[in-house]
Amino acid sequence: MKRFTCSGCSLLCSDIIVKSDGLFVSEVIGACLKGKERFDQVSAQNRITNPMIRKDGELKEVSWDEAIKKATEIIKNSSIPLLYGFSNVTCEAQEAGIKLAQEINGFIDSNASICQGKFLNKAKNLGINLTTITEIINKGDLIILWGANPAETIPRLLNKVLFSRGKFRMTGREIKTLVIIDPIKTASFQVMGVRDLALIVEPNKDIDLIRMLKEECCSADSIPSEGVAGIDKDDLKRLLLHLTGAENGVIILGQGVIQPHSDYDLVEELLELLQMINERQEKGRISLLLMGGHFNMAGFDHVALSSFGAFGKLEFKNNQLVKTEDTLVSKIEEEDFDSSIIVGTDPISHLPYSLSSKLAKKPLILLDNHSTATSYIAEVVLPTAITGIESSGLAYRLDQVPVELNKIVNPPNNLPSDEELLNRLYGLLNKGGSE
Amino acid sequence: MEFLLNSIRKINNDQVKEHTFGTEQSLEDNLAICFINPKDFDKLNLVSSLHLKISNKEKHIIVKVKKDDNVPEGTVTMPVSIWSNQLSEVQNRELLYKNIVVKLEATREPVMKFKEIIQKLLVK
Repeated sequence: MKRFTCSGCSLLCSDIIVKSDGLFVSEVIGACLKGKERFDQVSAQNRITNPMIRKDGELKEVSWDEAIKKATEIIKNSSIPLLYGFSNVTCEAQEAGIKLAQEINGFIDSNASICQGKFLNKAKNLGINLTTITEIINKGDLIILWGANPAETIPRLLNKVLFSRGKFRMTGREIKTLVIIDPIKTASFQVMGVRDLALIVEPNKDIDLIRMLKEECCSADSIPSEGVAGIDKDDLKRLLLHLTGAENGVIILGQGVIQPHSDYDLVEELLELLQMINERQEKGRISLLLMGGHFNMAGFDHVALSSFGAFGKLEFKNNQLVKTEDTLVSKIEEEDFDSSIIVGTDPISHLPYSLSSKLAKKPLILLDNHSTATSYIAEVVLPTAITGIESSGLAYRLDQVPVELNKIVNPPNNLPSDEELLNRLYGLLNKGGSE
Repeated sequence: MEFLLNSIRKINNDQVKEHTFGTEQSLEDNLAICFINPKDFDKLNLVSSLHLKISNKEKHIIVKVKKDDNVPEGTVTMPVSIWSNQLSEVQNRELLYKNIVVKLEATREPVMKFKEIIQKLLVK
């Protein structure tokens, strides 16, 4: 029995006990449903253990040499390749992906750009503090879930931040107030106690709530008697008191807040509210925690920053980084790519049809360890080891803390790690395409 | 009737789980599904054997429907999947997964198959 870090989600729980003889995992103790599923992926029925290429319209298993040859042919025939995914792989694999993008003059971006990455830059520019899990456990007295449902996405997050006993306060759940702001009564509402605050906001009315709070930031006297955004006056008063009175409050933001709006930027308005509260707070502060599902969603931005001093997406021309206004969405929408290399993600499932249909039109190379909708349309499928179980490396937790993932067992068929495979492709293309 | 479609993460209707461990049938059972408030269920004259046709400006899908008290009236939720993303949109270079205006109607037509969607994508 040994303690390992789980790569089931971005919380990267480091207290998982695994019983293994180095060949098989026989027992996993302490993992949540998602963590348990991650370990079960090793022997999942839809695990991909052999490379495949499309022949006569169907994917057929082939040798590694044939699959790699086909992949390098696609890349060599491509002048504007798109590389996407990289949030279910280690930082080392992200670095290898960026190196490959530079070699083949590609545009590279991660899942973070359509998720938590949107907040990060704006929060940095406004000087909003991001907090850590440890900080919330030890010092937190107010937790606000805004458009976030960790009970079904990061199952142990609330266990850790809400129910744990703090080191400095020596108190736990009894002094922590939970506020949930959501239009839907999600599973996270089930952990609420009598002194917590459940705010069911009307759809698309978050902006009214934020603007009211900005106006009434210091005073609860002039809240409209009919309430705002479907929330009554008394609840709004309580929300204001919590926001302005918390010593260490945190807002955990989910996908619900990231949605675009044609006439305002909800993210910016929310961050401005936080800035106002923090400026006027005498003894406390409100900070942010960004929810991202994939285990290393936070990593890509760190790697891009340390490799090229740029945040998120990178575009290369003549093997040099160039400044670009393009985004993953604009690249696909405008069909400004002629092939794609997808790493550890399933854009055919998670992108709108208007984009996935364009992605499917061009040759697609997929690196992943199990079957997905994307594997059904790929030209080449290159299977890899499961990170954190069959290969090791560094990942950034959702609170931007680096955590080392270890190898527990060998992968089937000696599958390479994502990093090894990306480096192999880079090596081949760097030499002109032959081994 | 006009509704707002929200795609959400649900631990028991999870696309990664279904793609990794499931079958085409379980994919359809757990992902080609939507949840609406029981009052809306009645307003739409739905019964358990009927399906729901959800359409926006350009596309439509047909999925199973379940009552859920936690979904507010006027809203329909779907687990994030290739089905829900037939209707999600791109707005000013950003992705719109929530509060998408859709029309709902009860139908006897069968649920849209996973292979049907993939076949459409494979036509280059």
